[in-house]
Amino acid sequence: MKLRARLSIPKLMTAVCAVAFVLSSVQYAFAGNELKGKWTLTISMPDAPGSSITRSFTVTIDVLPRGESLHGRANITDDSGKTVSAAWRQVGKQVSIAYELPCDGVNPCASLILQGKVKGGGVLIKKGSVIVMWDTENDRNPSLFDTSNGTFRGDQIEQ
Amino acid sequence: MSRLNRLLILVIAFFSMTVLIGGSTARMQSERTLAGEWIVRSTAINGQTASPKGVSLGFPDRDMVFEQQGDLRTGVVLREDVGHDVRPLGVWRVSGDSFSTTFQLWCPDANGPCGSIVMRGHFVRDDKISGTMTAFFNVSDDNTPTGYDTWTFAFVGNRVVASSSGGSH
Repeated sequence: MKLRARLSIPKLMTAVCAVAFVLSSVQYAFAGNELKGKWTLTISMPDAPGSSITRSFTVTIDVLPRGESLHGRANITDDSGKTVSAAWRQVGKQVSIAYELPCDGVNPCASLILQGKVKGGGVLIKKGSVIVMWDTENDRNPSLFDTSNGTFRGDQIEQ
Repeated sequence: MSRLNRLLILVIAFFSMTVLIGGSTARMQSERTLAGEWIVRSTAINGQTASPKGVSLGFPDRDMVFEQQGDLRTGVVLREDVGHDVRPLGVWRVSGDSFSTTFQLWCPDANGPCGSIVMRGHFVRDDKISGTMTAFFNVSDDNTPTGYDTWTFAFVGNRVVASSSGGSH
């Protein structure tokens, strides 16, 4: 028993150190991939409900710190200089950004939900997906409005 | 009545109509706002109390506060029934009598389903709204157009009247 105890203490210490190292690494990895700073988001989505024409546009998102909260706010500015609010949340690398696409009189209004993974130490969102919910009613759609899918990419431009 | 007088009356009538229509449109656009506090009650549509994949948010009364600073329109749900710090965030816009808001769901359990909510509705009056809420859960569902588990339910909201002391009920 004594021999077993002597052998198990160093092993136990090694295991504890290993677990602590892994946990701190995971925490560091998630902290490094926190959505923060200023980003460009390049969004590709249909230009109208049911349309096969893709509209691509770039917006700038200024992410405000969320502190200890699960959610944070952000400001999104389009190429015409119009700024609207956004709400975001993040669990691990998985981030979700929601905002209302402004009614600019040219493109139809919609609500956008962007989902993706923050990678590269917190500077890149590759192959993100977009849920588009249009303002046009559609009782055959489970949301009762027309929906579309899109994609987006995010690049951090300022920390 | 001379031809000139008739023409004058027509011109005056035209400008009066323009001012009236323009004025009422401007009034309509400036009157409708979500800014303020609302108590929103939701109900199932056709008995659907959960999403097709079995995810439900229940039907609690939601205390929602909307703010506007210029073009920045934000919202927060005060979920004090769950915890003082539970404040899901959202955004909104208004177009005439219709409005749209989008909120993030509050998901403290990283292993559970999460998602986002889109509210679409209209103003019944300045202090009453109704419409539908759609939850897009981050659970795959091949039977929906978006590929995400989708659940829609109805809501009615009443504006919380500010008390004379400046607070709210």
